[in-house]
Amino acid sequence: MKDINIDVKHVTRVEGHGNIIVDAKQGKLDEVLWEVSEAPRYFEAFVKDKPFTQLAQITSRICGICSIGHALTSLRATENAMDIEVSGQDEKLRKLALHGENMQSHVLHVGYLALPDLVGQGSVIPLASSHPEELKKVISLHKLANEISRVTCGRTTHPRRLIPGGFSKLPSPLELEKLKTKLEESVPVLKEVASFVKELSPALPDFERETEFISLTHDDEYAFYGGKIASTDGGITPVDDYLSVTNEYVVPQSTAKYTKNNRESYMVGALARLNNNFDQLTPLAKEVAEDFDLSPVCHNPYMNTIAQLVEVVHSVEDSLQLINELLDKGIEEQGLNYQPDIEPKAGTGVGAVEVPRGILFHEYTYDEEGRCTKANCIIPTNQNHGNIQHDMEKLVPEMIGEKSEDEMELTLEMLVRAYDPCISCSTHYLDVEFR
Amino acid sequence: MKIVIDGEEYPCEPGQKVYDVAQENDIYIPTLCLNELNTGERPAGCRMCLVEIVEENNEEPNLESSCSLPVSDGMEISTKSRVVYDERREVLELLLSEHQQDCRNCGISGDCKFSDLSFEYDIDGVSVCSECPNRKDGCFLSRGIICLGPITHSGCNAFCTRNGDPCESCFGILKNKDVLLFGLKDLDEKGFTREEILEAGKVFSYEETKSLEELIDENDIFNKEVQE
Repeated sequence: MKDINIDVKHVTRVEGHGNIIVDAKQGKLDEVLWEVSEAPRYFEAFVKDKPFTQLAQITSRICGICSIGHALTSLRATENAMDIEVSGQDEKLRKLALHGENMQSHVLHVGYLALPDLVGQGSVIPLASSHPEELKKVISLHKLANEISRVTCGRTTHPRRLIPGGFSKLPSPLELEKLKTKLEESVPVLKEVASFVKELSPALPDFERETEFISLTHDDEYAFYGGKIASTDGGITPVDDYLSVTNEYVVPQSTAKYTKNNRESYMVGALARLNNNFDQLTPLAKEVAEDFDLSPVCHNPYMNTIAQLVEVVHSVEDSLQLINELLDKGIEEQGLNYQPDIEPKAGTGVGAVEVPRGILFHEYTYDEEGRCTKANCIIPTNQNHGNIQHDMEKLVPEMIGEKSEDEMELTLEMLVRAYDPCISCSTHYLDVEFR
Repeated sequence: MKIVIDGEEYPCEPGQKVYDVAQENDIYIPTLCLNELNTGERPAGCRMCLVEIVEENNEEPNLESSCSLPVSDGMEISTKSRVVYDERREVLELLLSEHQQDCRNCGISGDCKFSDLSFEYDIDGVSVCSECPNRKDGCFLSRGIICLGPITHSGCNAFCTRNGDPCESCFGILKNKDVLLFGLKDLDEKGFTREEILEAGKVFSYEETKSLEELIDENDIFNKEVQE
């Protein structure tokens, strides 16, 4: 049997730099590696000694895609540490902002990064001529997601209005009304995009590996903004004990830390959320999930892309619900350029938010002046790296002898892409001795 | 009839304007409001063609817009003196304060008098305050909240302050020392300390805060507390 030598450096259509290495001789697998070669980043060191008011602005820069998620996680950590209260109205607006970001990221991944694999193209550009109408619909959804972020946060990336204690500026009822109309108009578009993806979905590899799925869960809603940590292996963990779930460790092939809980690895992200909280999806989202035969617990990582599509539908429906609630109650005015009076105090707080790629943790310790003395950020992708590695270890032997090297390479790349990794964000502060 | 421009004698006709004599003799005087379409009465509106009438025993420099200044025999004009340069520069800054900022680096038309003059007069931005809609109670500084607007290069259309958050100087500290000093003194008067300003500036403009520190020391700002 022919030797197999795959060396993808770097995987394209993902954020950041990661490599796939497979070495097999005479049908026998020597090595399969998911390498993360991204340079480590030092955000936890940057924020040291910084006043609490600056932290969300700084940590939001960890990611250009999940900037709202990072800002909100950071704010929740700060607010927990200092017992800062946030009004119900502001919480709703924050959830709306998070939906905007979730849609931005999911539409980008499903529509521009994953879809080309399903139609056998190398990028989204050829789709503009082969599937122009479908692509326009995808773009219109992306535009809508940007609009939600802009209305709630002031701009589409790196939110400006999110501050400890609430919002520095609120959207006007008129802006929310307009957004509502656009969201309503997007529902038929969503259905069309879903059926388009459905037509192509047989191209998704049929691969399963039992693993653990970890996400937030909440009694009253499909958890995005806060809740408790849930696992498909059972057990609910309070957010403050997140370290007992993540258990980070270092591996030589990666500049990002790996994590494990009950098993050798676990998965976070849309599929994990869906597996844990399926029953709390909105009706239409459930309908779309059932169309794809997606029900908990799904162990096919390739279905993460479909789970993201389901979540886009959920986000649209839930956003409409949130806007209706906000408009019914009327937006409670606050002063111009609102900056709440916060008395800083010493303490430690953990924030956990479901961002597009999974559960995100920030933990800060503050001194009496409200300056950060210690910070820790655990990013979803670095929780997924271990699972990607183990998936590959199971997937490659199944493919040897069945598929050509090119097909294997594509299937592995698709696997990595299915996780929608945000690799550069995942390489947080490290004490690694590089050999 | 003759006039003297920058030390050289030039012939002229009664009723002629100084600007036209200069034009005839290839002496450069900038203008924004005079152009080939504007042949009627001169508006003397932009004030960029200011020149100095040099007279002995003048306590205050005598500045006039050359496009509307009629010649008189033996009149001595300077187009290059320091006063002229400074005044024109100030005029340009005032004009630009109502303009989309970062004029110097704008490439929209590629042929723009404002942009050229910004280069010529080294206008390196006007502060974010010029773009900020917050006045009186809306201003963070008047509420004791540190905002770096007065010392930050404009060009963002005051995005953050429009969204209710103070300026963090992500566009960089002003390069124009005069405007920068003005802004620093403003912050000083409003009771902010050197440390507060440097700390806020370090988030986005870490390198620039080093030269900012030097400038503060050289110019003796923020030292009230030391004296007390």
